[in-house]
Amino acid sequence: MNDNRNMLLAIVLSAFVLIGWSLLSDKFFPTPPPQTHKVENGKVQPTPAPVTEAGSPKGGPEPLRPRELVLGETPRLKIETPQLTGSINLKGARFDDLDLVTQRETIKKDSPPVRLLSPARAKDSYFAQFGWSGQGVAVPDANSLWTASAPTLVPGQPVTLSWSNPTGQRFELILSVDDGYMFTVKQRVVNGGSNAVGLRTYGLASRSAKSPDPSTWTNHVGPMSFLADKADYSVDWDTLDENKAGVTRDSRGGWLGFTDKYWLTALIPADGAPVEASFRKSESGAYQADFAGSQFVAAPGQAVTSEARLFAGAKEKKFLDRYENEGITKLSKSIDWGWFEWFMRPIFNLLTWLFSVLGNFGLAIISLTFIVRLILFPIADKQFKSMAGMRKVQPKMKALQERYKDDKPKLQQEMLKLYQEEKINPAAGCLPILLQIPIFYALYKVLMVSVEMRHQPFYLWIKDLSAPDPLTPVNLFGLLPFTPPGFLAIGVLPILLGITMWIQFKLNPQQMDPVQQQIFSFMPWILMFVMAPFAAGLQLYWVVSNLLTIAQQTWLYKRYDMHLSDTHPVKT
Amino acid sequence: MLRLARNDDMLAKILILLTRGWQKGPSKVLPPSCRFQPSCSAYAITALGRYGALKGGWLALKRIFRCHPWGGQGLDPVP
Repeated sequence: MNDNRNMLLAIVLSAFVLIGWSLLSDKFFPTPPPQTHKVENGKVQPTPAPVTEAGSPKGGPEPLRPRELVLGETPRLKIETPQLTGSINLKGARFDDLDLVTQRETIKKDSPPVRLLSPARAKDSYFAQFGWSGQGVAVPDANSLWTASAPTLVPGQPVTLSWSNPTGQRFELILSVDDGYMFTVKQRVVNGGSNAVGLRTYGLASRSAKSPDPSTWTNHVGPMSFLADKADYSVDWDTLDENKAGVTRDSRGGWLGFTDKYWLTALIPADGAPVEASFRKSESGAYQADFAGSQFVAAPGQAVTSEARLFAGAKEKKFLDRYENEGITKLSKSIDWGWFEWFMRPIFNLLTWLFSVLGNFGLAIISLTFIVRLILFPIADKQFKSMAGMRKVQPKMKALQERYKDDKPKLQQEMLKLYQEEKINPAAGCLPILLQIPIFYALYKVLMVSVEMRHQPFYLWIKDLSAPDPLTPVNLFGLLPFTPPGFLAIGVLPILLGITMWIQFKLNPQQMDPVQQQIFSFMPWILMFVMAPFAAGLQLYWVVSNLLTIAQQTWLYKRYDMHLSDTHPVKT
Repeated sequence: MLRLARNDDMLAKILILLTRGWQKGPSKVLPPSCRFQPSCSAYAITALGRYGALKGGWLALKRIFRCHPWGGQGLDPVP
């Protein structure tokens, strides 16, 4: 009777977890986009042209036009680097056409590269520009036509854009790019006029559409900054939608921009330079990040230069770390590590090192699993040793149980005393359990945020470890012509996960009461559903971890000459 | 000084609440693992109630860090 009630309780609890989870998971845990996902399919906004300090396009919304057409309309400076292709619009000096050549939109062989930047009035407009603002002096604006000193921008060969106003001030943008994702922009103004001019430099990034990647509790997507010595993940698209005034911050150096799950566009003022930075939504509906330097005066005959940088590319840790070493403050904070950063970085470094040695990200994950299990092995070993010792004192325990069978608290006390005297204890304590929570969370997070895992294949049917397992028996591995609803799209890996976990729990040496036993025989199947939409890499980690635990427990049973019946006494 | 004490009191209450949450939730599902009596969570609640967030929290933390296969065991009440 009591057993039935517990069973019922377990079922109700399971159902609760299962339904509650699907409601919560979308909010709190990002699931990777499906493999066919395109970065481009954000919302179409009617007018991508932002209101900029450099003059805004007047008039109402204009219809979107094909990207190729827009690119062909104005003269352009081509960009060619090992990581990037694209161009800079010489009308307005805008970085508004950029593809990441080493990243593909999908895992298909003929898939186009990931598109990061697109010009104004095209779909998903997203661009950056650097300029000047001033009073009583004509400064270049969005319609100014610049002259480039070379047709193509390649690493190691800076190109100068120049523009002069009628009163004798010449403005120059000396652009250079490295072999990664970093542009350096030297903003130089030469005052050839007869009067002194007061100017401020600025940089801005504008995007018409929100990121198609969801921003979640565990990983922020959207406006992001490191200003005034503080990383800020609290500004969302919604913050700017609701707050017309936007968010403003004074800082010395730092960076600000927009991030997708894997990509980042960041404006980086010169290190230590005082700037006024802000995020806001412009009247045209585009999201804008900008910074303005402090006012300076260029006397007649004087030239004033300042420097800023633009990061536009994938948040690959090797590049982020490199730029930090080159003096860009905390650019690696553009990965939203969260509280466990100190703990995740070593794991991340180990994982990428294993990847570089083994050449396959799946093998790297498996090796990492081995290492984690190895570190935790002494705990399991010690526990088995202790349990083996329990058998020796079995007669004494029996005697105690007889003597205090009507006084449970007293019995417990006496047993603890016995354990203490014999220096044994079947319980491992709570620290090992508490310790494993951050380890697993760190792995989850590392696999979640690392662009390095994106589109990395494993063997057989796993072509992308950052996407869910695509092969599901629900439609007979794709033989039946339907796509199962999200809830039922359980891949092979999550099913293996459920099975291995069930076996692992069966081998669990700890003694449990009946309710717990029932929960533990249910949990694997709930986790199978819960884990199904997650990245295959994470599922792989968990399956391998379970298999290793099963092997470990089986071996430990042998080593200490124990049997399942020793640790699973028949309850009466 | 008084304000500090009041903050400490508030924090202790929040921590006690969190610990009770642990007892009612995760701890119920996890296999029994207590090497000590009272359990770490019961110890924490008593310690926080008796000594406040700062000292009580420190005592509880020290207890958790003892609670592993190489740590102590047995009767270990809050001092």
